[in-house]
Amino acid sequence: MHRKILIGLAVLAFSLLAAAQSQWALQQSTLTYVVTHPLHHIEGVSHAARGKGICQANECEFLIAAPVKSFGSGDSNRDLHMIQAVRGAEYPMVTVRTRIPQSELKSGSIHADLQVQFAGQTANYKQVPFQVTAEGKNLRLTGTIPAKVSDFRLTPPSLLTIPIKNDIPVRVDMLWSPAE
Amino acid sequence: MNPQRIRFVYAVAILAIFIAFPDASRAQATGATLTGTVTGPSGQAVPGAKISVKDVATGKSTPAQSDAAGVYTVPNLAPGDYEISVSADGFSTTTQKVTVAAGASQTLNVTLTSGLSLESLGFPNSQTQANPQEQARLNRRTHMLKVHQTLGLITTAPMLATVITGTFAGGRATSSTNRDLHVGLGSLTAGMYFTTAYFAIAAPKIKGEKTHGPIRLHKALAWIHGPGMVLTPILGALAYQQKSRGEKVHGIANLHGPVAIVTAGAYGLALLSVSIKF
Repeated sequence: MHRKILIGLAVLAFSLLAAAQSQWALQQSTLTYVVTHPLHHIEGVSHAARGKGICQANECEFLIAAPVKSFGSGDSNRDLHMIQAVRGAEYPMVTVRTRIPQSELKSGSIHADLQVQFAGQTANYKQVPFQVTAEGKNLRLTGTIPAKVSDFRLTPPSLLTIPIKNDIPVRVDMLWSPAE
Repeated sequence: MNPQRIRFVYAVAILAIFIAFPDASRAQATGATLTGTVTGPSGQAVPGAKISVKDVATGKSTPAQSDAAGVYTVPNLAPGDYEISVSADGFSTTTQKVTVAAGASQTLNVTLTSGLSLESLGFPNSQTQANPQEQARLNRRTHMLKVHQTLGLITTAPMLATVITGTFAGGRATSSTNRDLHVGLGSLTAGMYFTTAYFAIAAPKIKGEKTHGPIRLHKALAWIHGPGMVLTPILGALAYQQKSRGEKVHGIANLHGPVAIVTAGAYGLALLSVSIKF
């Protein structure tokens, strides 16, 4: 009789553990896109990203999003041109989704598959390397997304009739903390 | 009433009920079972998911819950159309439609999507919704500013030529041909300049736009080369008249050259301010 009760309790405990989930919240972030033109090297920075991660069954799913308008390059005219070129009023958000095994969320380097939605298009980047650094309970993720203008079927913006280069890498620096 | 007669009346009554409500009698006899597994986006079982099976015809809902393996079962369903709503912590609620056949055991597996959404991140709808009107304004603005940029670049050629020919038009030993060439180039420059300016001034303004960065210098310099482009031809016309009368250029007409130089300088600087990073 006691044995049956113990087995029952063990099954119940296992079920509860399987159902348990933990969450991560994005505390601080710096997203920087880099645009190269023969006359300019432009960096557009946003600190307005928000993000959340939900971990279940040893896998964490993350969603990070930032308003396209929140990127500033230090020149209002250029920023408006950028918003126009990437159809930022029609598609006002850039989002990144990824899944990372929970066991990899510790100091070291990880490779993540990213799904980026931007300018009405979805681009997938496989095995993007990120550096993870533990800061107390928090985790800092840094890396670069190797984005290209052509990934999003955009017409490259031009200055003095010269278009920008196809590569627009996005540097990522995010601080995540465990959420209740 | 004798017992035989009573049995006969009961039999007739039961037969009448079966004839009047054929569906009800069939429903009792043909209860179906709906079963399935609730999984997450990566295929993991979702225990404790709340399932609501709503009969579309009657609006009646039958609740159920998935077990440790994510399996749920809803027995005794009458045949018909149902709406199955599945919810679980950390996932988005999913609703699916299913038609249950009489007496069948039907399987409906449900895959829940992640509960992560822009709303769950706290972005207001106003920030995440598309604004096609603003996109149209931005497109028009960019188109007009591209024309402004191209025309502005082209204008530098006649402007430079006007400045160079000006050095031969104002001296003592000038000919009317030199002056006419200078006037012709100056007129072309003025025409192109004001057309260029039109495309910048008429470009749609964007709500909430705050000017900052090198574009501020570009715009500020327009307050120098704009009035300069108005004054220069007026002063030039005065100087031309004086020269044509065989007089030495004098009075306010003397300012034609310096004003033209300042105007051309401000124009060149405005061009550089948006072309080269300082």
